[in-house]
Amino acid sequence: MYVDPTLVPPTLADALRERAKRAHRGFTFVRSDASERYMSYPDILKEAERRGAALYARGAKKGDRVALVIPDGDEFVLTFLGAAISGLVPVPIYPQLSFKNVEGYHDTVSHIVSAAGAQLLVTTETTAPYVEPVKARASVLREIVVASSFADQPHERVDVKVEPGDLGFLQFTSGSTSKPKGVAVTHGNLAWNSQCFIQQGLGRDDTDVGVSWLPLFHDMGLIGFLIGPVFTDIQVVFIPTANFVRAPRVWLEALSRHRGTITYAPNFAYALVTKRVKDRDVAELDLSCVRHAGCGAEPIQARTLREFADRLAPTGFRPEAFLPSYGMAEATLAISFGDRRGMGEKARGLRTDVVVQKSLEAGEAKAAAPGSEGSQELVNCGRAFPHHEMRVVKPGSFEPLPDRQIGEILFRGPSMCNGYFQDPEKTAESFKDGWLHTGDLGYLVDGEVFICGRSKDLIIIRGRNFYPGDIEWAVSELPRIRRGNVVAFGLSVNDEEQLVICAEAFQSDAAGLIEEITQLVNEQFALNVHHIELVPQGALPRTSSGKPQRRKAKDMFVQGAFAKMRNKGTTEAAT
Amino acid sequence: MSSPNRAELLQMFRTTATEIVEKEFASIEENTKITELGIDSLGMLEIIGSLERQLKIQIPDESLAGLTTVRDLIEAVEKRFKVQS
Repeated sequence: MYVDPTLVPPTLADALRERAKRAHRGFTFVRSDASERYMSYPDILKEAERRGAALYARGAKKGDRVALVIPDGDEFVLTFLGAAISGLVPVPIYPQLSFKNVEGYHDTVSHIVSAAGAQLLVTTETTAPYVEPVKARASVLREIVVASSFADQPHERVDVKVEPGDLGFLQFTSGSTSKPKGVAVTHGNLAWNSQCFIQQGLGRDDTDVGVSWLPLFHDMGLIGFLIGPVFTDIQVVFIPTANFVRAPRVWLEALSRHRGTITYAPNFAYALVTKRVKDRDVAELDLSCVRHAGCGAEPIQARTLREFADRLAPTGFRPEAFLPSYGMAEATLAISFGDRRGMGEKARGLRTDVVVQKSLEAGEAKAAAPGSEGSQELVNCGRAFPHHEMRVVKPGSFEPLPDRQIGEILFRGPSMCNGYFQDPEKTAESFKDGWLHTGDLGYLVDGEVFICGRSKDLIIIRGRNFYPGDIEWAVSELPRIRRGNVVAFGLSVNDEEQLVICAEAFQSDAAGLIEEITQLVNEQFALNVHHIELVPQGALPRTSSGKPQRRKAKDMFVQGAFAKMRNKGTTEAAT
Repeated sequence: MSSPNRAELLQMFRTTATEIVEKEFASIEENTKITELGIDSLGMLEIIGSLERQLKIQIPDESLAGLTTVRDLIEAVEKRFKVQS
């Protein structure tokens, strides 16, 4: 099945050459010192071709993987595109963050480089010292190339034909394990998904301007704001992620100044803005231009979005712009959007379903009156895109469940990837009989999906099902706990599943907090907490995007790593 | 703004960290390791962003890599004052 050629070109290589015909359009890169570099499409193509040729000059050939550890937006984009349009397979890897465990970083990068079989790794002068040790650990790695050396390369174009079935890049998912898996994404997958989410989902037009501070080594930033826009001709403003975190205002400022129409962020970022934005900023900004404020990549809380919309109402921000989205790397990027196709400007923004919280325990989502006691609000993530299909089945089967019955979400269609790169075992676990088994639990109502949580993380206690995210969210509400610094998991104790909560907090708070958490979980979930571990701030293991890793946290807990940290402290034991 | 002295910068770091992480720290001294404070990298960047705004300086990303102690950060800030004033 082919993409609609009137909507998107068949490969990223064709797409970039097509874009270069419109010389008055291009991308803007904001640097960390807030200066801006604009590059027109033809200039981007020329530089990308030069970099592709430079990689071939260093011995790369069609189909070879090239690892990229590049923190700067422009350098990353030009090298990524250069590799991809020349038939090479870029493998984006997150750059070293400061104040982090260096040893662990080298482990992860070495693992990715080896799993990808990358002989070349491209980096920048500032990042080179952090990847140098990888050479000794990943024997496949032949050379570390510094991007500035491409400047010596004369401009030439590698004569390679790129086909839709060729690999476009490898997306290593940070997932919840220490060993990321490399999703093999083809040019065809990218074309299809771009057609779905930008043409059909966002209803793109020529006046659209994307604004993104999302990291480019993750699917939402990379496909959402680089690859998708190259396929569909959307001009984009790229902001360094660190600039946003240092001063969340820069996101809003860029939207206002560049008249941004499309932007995306995970739930936590909307919360951060609400918390940090100043009245003066709100008065100065004009966000009436924003058509789509997407939210994805982590569980979406309706309240967070409402608080953001209230706080920014004076800027002209319209709550209808909210676009809750569901997707994952194995599906290229997007699976479904809160429904708005064909609705144009009548988009409806955030839509939710209020259910009886207790019914979720038994695997059902019974409708409840909004705001009623014991109710829980879930966000509508819409229906699958055309030519794609979503199904909710009894876990471990293909048997579709009726509406409002919770089961595993399956997905299929041309955006679905073929599997993990050179890993038939892991591929067989998730890709079965033409369906992607997402591992997410959720339910459908009239074809629209509501996500409850990851099936592997589900905590089943005496036949009642609990989603760790719900418990973590509730505990995060306590004043002495920082949002996002809580992990809940089930632990088998004497053959019975029990609830364990690990939360980052100060030991001086330990006694009171443990009581508060116990009480809260008891009240809200009628559930007994087997053990509460208060760990130092920053101690919970996180993915490269900063999400706590539940399974790794559980391993650490079982191995006694947290108890050791606690005993090293000067204060009394936590329990 | 004239360059604040080290004691003032340390105090400013304490106040800012407390405000961002929303918690009193037991003690923060120059030789305290950042990892001991247990502030995650996101929180640390928020703190640095706030210091940059208060002091009207910009600390380049390059000088953030490899910061180990609070002293390292204070010195990175002092260096910016020398460059920008």
